[in-house]
Amino acid sequence: MSTRRQRSAGGVAYPDIKGTLHERTVQALGDQTLRTNLETAASSWAAGQEVMRRDHGMDEMRARAREIRRRNIRDLPALLGEMQANVRKAGGQVVRAADGAEACRYITGLAQARGVTVVAKSKSMATEEIRLNEALEASGIEVVETDLGEWILQLAHQRPSHIIAPAVHLNRGQVAEIFRREAGTDDVPDDREGLVAHARVRLRETFAQAGMGISGVNIGVASTGTVCIVENEGNARLVTSQPRIHVAVMGMERVVADWDDAAHILQILPMAAISQDAANYVNLITGPRREGESDGPEEFHLVIVDGGRGALRGTEFEEVLSCIRCGACLYSCPMWRSVGGQAYGSPYSGPIGAIITPLLEGPSSPASRDLPFMSSLCGACGDACPVGIPLPDLLVRARARASSPATRKSAVAFRAWSLLLRRGLTYRVGVVGWRLFVRVRGTDGWVTRLPGGGAGWTRVRDMPARWPPRR
Amino acid sequence: MRVLLMRTCLSDAVGPSVWKSTRRVLQRAGVQVRVPRGQTCCAQPAWTAGHPARAREVARHALTVFAGPDEVVVPSGSCAGMVVHGYPDLFRGEPEEEAALDLARRTVEFTQFLARHDLDPGTVAAGTVTIHDSCHMLRVLDEAAAPRQALARAGCEVREMEHTDRCCGFGGVFSLAFPELSASLGEEKARDAVESGAREVVSCDLGCLMHITGVAHRQGIPLRARHIAEVLDR
Amino acid sequence: MAATPVSDHLLDALVASLTRRTATSQVVDDADAGRATARWMADAGVARAVLPRDPVIARIDLGAALRREGIEVIDWPTSLGRREVLGLEGPEAVCGVTVPALAVAERGTLVLEASPGHGRGLDVTSRHHVAILPAERIVETLAEALARTFATGGPVPSAVSLVSGPSRSSDIEKISTLGAHGAVSEHVVIVR
Repeated sequence: MSTRRQRSAGGVAYPDIKGTLHERTVQALGDQTLRTNLETAASSWAAGQEVMRRDHGMDEMRARAREIRRRNIRDLPALLGEMQANVRKAGGQVVRAADGAEACRYITGLAQARGVTVVAKSKSMATEEIRLNEALEASGIEVVETDLGEWILQLAHQRPSHIIAPAVHLNRGQVAEIFRREAGTDDVPDDREGLVAHARVRLRETFAQAGMGISGVNIGVASTGTVCIVENEGNARLVTSQPRIHVAVMGMERVVADWDDAAHILQILPMAAISQDAANYVNLITGPRREGESDGPEEFHLVIVDGGRGALRGTEFEEVLSCIRCGACLYSCPMWRSVGGQAYGSPYSGPIGAIITPLLEGPSSPASRDLPFMSSLCGACGDACPVGIPLPDLLVRARARASSPATRKSAVAFRAWSLLLRRGLTYRVGVVGWRLFVRVRGTDGWVTRLPGGGAGWTRVRDMPARWPPRR
Repeated sequence: MRVLLMRTCLSDAVGPSVWKSTRRVLQRAGVQVRVPRGQTCCAQPAWTAGHPARAREVARHALTVFAGPDEVVVPSGSCAGMVVHGYPDLFRGEPEEEAALDLARRTVEFTQFLARHDLDPGTVAAGTVTIHDSCHMLRVLDEAAAPRQALARAGCEVREMEHTDRCCGFGGVFSLAFPELSASLGEEKARDAVESGAREVVSCDLGCLMHITGVAHRQGIPLRARHIAEVLDR
Repeated sequence: MAATPVSDHLLDALVASLTRRTATSQVVDDADAGRATARWMADAGVARAVLPRDPVIARIDLGAALRREGIEVIDWPTSLGRREVLGLEGPEAVCGVTVPALAVAERGTLVLEASPGHGRGLDVTSRHHVAILPAERIVETLAEALARTFATGGPVPSAVSLVSGPSRSSDIEKISTLGAHGAVSEHVVIVR
């Protein structure tokens, strides 16, 4: 019992999620506004992907992106060593954290030692994964998310529903409502421009006060010790240039060898993520400010988080480390499009989340062991992935690794299935039996209630008792 | 030309007319069809449910039943995809690896087989249909053209529905584990199919059709569904 | 700075890419650059311009041209406080001026390098961003720009920003809205 509690406290999935995964999907399906918002987002992304393929040769770029990332992961220990040495050479500090708790300890300790009271953050899935905000707040430090979408969620006390577009499940009316509550006034406009302008002004105050800026890292370039932070709004630049201290938190797999690799990944990332051939701002940071420079942080800390990633090298799941967190597999996924990322109960949702969350949590974690089964294996994610991760195959492998009461029950059922189906004779008996059963059970050519494992079928649809089916 | 026909377990259990139509259409096109006795299932359900060892037990039986030099024709994009794409993975490092690779090379989905050998079953099947591209047909076998070509040759008018590349939500064991989510996607698909204006939805996969019509019937959506082999067998 | 012939192809491509990114641009001769830039800022209603310490700015004598248009000039590095740099105090219509080290023709990207004379944030702290770009600094691809900036064998700049159009956010309803945190407008003066 105590070990289980410990594991779930240190895991990736949110500790306070409610209900089972199945219950959360049913609930989300009942939220018509949510479904409309998700459909709008996914359709607009899909239309953009067409343009990327047609006008920017995106399909031709995938093979090289895959080759680069596969090679980076193969060379990971050496690249991390090189990255670390080059950051230090540029005057930065590097910390390797084995898990989230260690990373949080370092960052909160640093903030306390420097007397930091306000932290300005730019969007980072790694910090969401390690629950850095909770750790800082527990130490009495105020944390403000400055990415517009993340700020909206912070104010609404919600979790991101998408890796790139965290508040994509909300519409502008809902956002206006959230802003009004925060500002304590009805004097907040309803239109998108007005809402964006409102956030800009409110968050400038944070930039004026913050003693520490915390960012994620999209890629680290080993050959020069540079971290690349990709964004559209400009808040990451403010986070990395205004406060006295900049802390960059990077998942250990996000390193590439050199600027040749970086150039390609930096091009395909916005294509896959936002259907644009360039993000508005890419911040390339090598250490703290230099002598003679009049702005930029005086201290630069790179926190490299393992969190279970290192153990995946050399396994049948190694390719998940190629992921550049673009979110394309989410948009392409019919499941994500139907229920949104929050139903998954973990920072990483969609197909990639369904694979990596149980990998990082352990195969029997109650919070994530069902995730790999929430897929029809339609393969859209595999086609969407810019770095060619075989997501459908990995989902199948993740299922084989899962361990829960449900998988144990299904193991018994499939043992019987195998005994029946590995011989022609027993198979025929089974088939004839099933057809008789359906005939007897059906009325008007349809079966409307099946017992046992079939109940899941007839709860929502009928089963044709004969084929071709009657209308 | 001689082929082996893989009936598929779904056709055996739900719609024998599918494999029987497949056999007739092939024979009309001048193909000698043998339906090996003792065949069961391609083992995909156990594989996708996360029980590769159970899947191997059943797939081993398939390797024996479909041994020999002949091409194996399958009236299902999903089952064909399992043999072509799944077997090499399922038997990697196993003693049957060579046999699995051999069967994967010889296995072909029904409409792909017609296209590959430029076969004309001489169907006269006037009418208007819409196509549901099953995901495994589209993304595992990378095939969208073959069924359309077969229907066009048979004189069918194909009215494309919206979102042809979207999953219908069947997904085998998924349909039982997450029924509401599965049915929600099935309903979208059924509505897209109806809105195409065609009188029936045609697919290369009986599993998807069973699911789509099952949802449509429950929801009162008027939709007729036929396997492509049944349409070509007119 | 050695004058190299400017390829019309690169220049045209850059102008087209900038337009695609909802940035504006103009191509001017060296002698006219200061006056033209000051005119553009005056038309945009700029009250204050923050200028980097850069030989290009000195050569086109931008400070003098701006003062003639009645625009307040602040030289970077500045003694302005952080609140004023962030636009929380002082005039709202501030324009940050940059001199890109390079520009990428095929995608309309400006490469801004931090240095003692160039701040890291001028283009995002200000309401407007004007870049003064010597035309010979245009290169074709991002890979080329990154190689020139980072694969030199020598020390690399502490901060480089790739800027591709004004600030925007698509976080509300996936529809792009300008001026999220950074500049609402970007104008590139290409100096021949």
